[in-house]
Amino acid sequence: MVEKIKVERFTCWYYDVLALQAITLAVHEHEILGIIGPANSGKTSFIRSLNRLNDLNLTFRKQGTVLLDGKDIYAMNPEALRRRVGMVFAMPLSLPMSVYDNVAYGPRRHGRRGKKRLDETVEKALVAASLWDEMKDRLSDSALKLSGGQQQRLCLARTLAVEPEVILFDEPCSGLDPISTAKVEETMLELKQKYTMVLVTNNIKQASRVSDRTAFFLSGELVEIDVPSRLFVTPRDKRTEDYVTGRFG
Amino acid sequence: MKRLFDWIIERFIFLCGILAVIFVALIFLFLLREGVSFFGSYSPIKFVGGIYWYPTSDPPQFGIISLIVGSLFVTVLAACLAIPLGVATALFIAEIAPRWLKDVLKTVIELLAAIPSVVIGFIGMVTLVPLVRQALNLPTGLSAFSGALMLGFMALPTIVTISEDAIRTVPWSYKEGAIALGATRWQTMYRIILPAALPGILGAVMLGVGRVIGETMAVMMITGNAAHIPGSVFDPVRTMTATIAAEMGETVRGSPHYEALFAIGLVLFVITFIVNFTADTFLRKARR
Amino acid sequence: MKSRTAQRIAFAVLLAVSCVVFLPVVSIFVILVKEGGGALTPEFLFTMPSEGMRSGGILPAIIGTLLIVVCAIAVTLPVGVLAAIYLNEYAKDNLLTRVIRLAIVNLAGVPSVVFGLFGLALFVMMLNLGVSVIAGALTLSIMELPSIITTSRNALSSVPASFREVSLSLGVSRWRTIRHVVLPNAVPGILTGAILSLARIAGETAPILFTAAAFYVTRLPHSLSDQVMALPYHLYIISTQIPNMPSKLTYGTALTLVLLVFLMSLAAIILRIIFRRRKKW
Repeated sequence: MVEKIKVERFTCWYYDVLALQAITLAVHEHEILGIIGPANSGKTSFIRSLNRLNDLNLTFRKQGTVLLDGKDIYAMNPEALRRRVGMVFAMPLSLPMSVYDNVAYGPRRHGRRGKKRLDETVEKALVAASLWDEMKDRLSDSALKLSGGQQQRLCLARTLAVEPEVILFDEPCSGLDPISTAKVEETMLELKQKYTMVLVTNNIKQASRVSDRTAFFLSGELVEIDVPSRLFVTPRDKRTEDYVTGRFG
Repeated sequence: MKRLFDWIIERFIFLCGILAVIFVALIFLFLLREGVSFFGSYSPIKFVGGIYWYPTSDPPQFGIISLIVGSLFVTVLAACLAIPLGVATALFIAEIAPRWLKDVLKTVIELLAAIPSVVIGFIGMVTLVPLVRQALNLPTGLSAFSGALMLGFMALPTIVTISEDAIRTVPWSYKEGAIALGATRWQTMYRIILPAALPGILGAVMLGVGRVIGETMAVMMITGNAAHIPGSVFDPVRTMTATIAAEMGETVRGSPHYEALFAIGLVLFVITFIVNFTADTFLRKARR
Repeated sequence: MKSRTAQRIAFAVLLAVSCVVFLPVVSIFVILVKEGGGALTPEFLFTMPSEGMRSGGILPAIIGTLLIVVCAIAVTLPVGVLAAIYLNEYAKDNLLTRVIRLAIVNLAGVPSVVFGLFGLALFVMMLNLGVSVIAGALTLSIMELPSIITTSRNALSSVPASFREVSLSLGVSRWRTIRHVVLPNAVPGILTGAILSLARIAGETAPILFTAAAFYVTRLPHSLSDQVMALPYHLYIISTQIPNMPSKLTYGTALTLVLLVFLMSLAAIILRIIFRRRKKW
């Protein structure tokens, strides 16, 4: 089992408010790591630290290390890092442009030219996001006209188009209906062969359906990390049990 | 290559970012340079303390007291008109007016702000000035009073817009609290909303005053431009701005008169700097 | 009951006071249209003045004003937008940023005639540009910088932060994110602000008094280093310096200037409405 991402004693603050406390865990290559926990448990802070999107927050401070393939990501160029570690956000954030331009946005900015090569990239990304059949005749439509579920898969396609190694999902189905959610989950499982994924979700069932291992965060701490069959059935920690049985959160 | 381009453009962006600072400093330095050279040949005490502005007599006299008093007269008068009017209008727009009337009033105020000062000066000259002369039986209608009346209107848009902003941003909870205690809307307005919006309103007033002090064309065309200490508000006066605008064309570049006008510019710059700084302090306090 | 009456009186007073703002706008408009409307003939707008400006048209003043304001905006718009980008996208909350903010506030408050002095000293004298279109335009461009920065900054900050996050999360650099996502979505706001600025400086007189404006030139400008007549200055001259000026021409000039300014402002306001309707997010 290769450790794709290794987080060691990672602690961070916004202003002086502690958001994460000494998190240590690893994300294995080609797995889906689920992260669950109630609101304000630090889940989102955690994955935004993995692609350094937290750097945008000027009040953010951190301690500890995050290694990607053994290299400290906070010593890398953030742009190079984010090309390797993509992200799908909680809300379907399509850019106000056409479907095609949304998917081609990343490759274009990274200097990919030539209509043919772009066409291929866009098609490949849409196919991988299981959106090609629905979109192949609507490529020039505004992305904002699509349904929420389609937009979310479009966002996934946009992320795939820059060919990352790791994909972070920040509650990707929180605004979607059950059918769209099922489609996104199905796509995630298909992508597992090629990508390493981290899925933050506040839907416990989703974590149990999709993830290979699940981590439970509470108040900025990692309480427990295990395979779903144990974490959801026989948790070691009382707090995990309370949460997964719905006693709080 | 790409990174280098990004780096260069970001340096350039930074440069543009600090350009405002550079220009404020440059303006100050240029005014100072001519001003200092003027004070080499003319005592600054006589400049600030002198009553007579006779730039072309021999020897010339460059006392700016009468000009400062002229500016002060016009400004205070205009403020007396514009402040109550402006704050009342702001309150009406922010709290009372129905939606459509609000839009109409705001558009009219935008248009008022858009009228060039030279047009206001011209209209004042052909309508207000003769009116004032006849109504009050004066030798001339070109007076501090006429100028202040027009300037009051010119300060109005600034005062209304920024005060309205301050009034509108008073938190809802304040108003709710007062209404819940049985106060009428009007009581809530003057007991709760106005005091809470006061810093913002003061900031608005200061900005309006700053605008009046710096106003040039309308003032030059309506106030009569007599450089003496006015006996009443119906006397002609001459402001600092009008002096610069009216006389710069006739000076010899580099002469004491030319430099003296820059020295007036320096005084104006310092005054408006203080006024705007104060306004900004109030406004920042209001935003918090 | 008593407080009710007080409220009714207070509201009535406030309504009455508010309506006073109509007074100057409406009366200026009515007077100008009534006295100057008849002067607005094609001949007046498109011919040269004659007989010491006492007859003929105001073409050179219109051309001069348009030339100056277009040059001024052409200079100040890119610089102002970049400055706004710095403040909105790059600046940290530190002393420098506070100093810049303060400088912008104060630059906006410097009297227009002081800008005239500065333009005279820097552009006309030191840089030896002479009294010319370019000297006047540069002076006005500095004067208009604060408002361009402020409106552009508002336009930039109304672009949702999530757009930036999406672009950055794809490994796109900060500048490219601004260039390809933020800026295109801020263009409507920036454009509206620029047109409003155009309208405002078209009416400015004091800054061009010693930097660009000519009393009377008998030919149209040939280059940017020519002195030009300008509408606001022309109005000042003919209403105060020329004896026996036919009043119709003076009113006509004032009306032309006001119409020019109002039409530009109106265009900006309409543009703002159109863009708002089409706003996609």
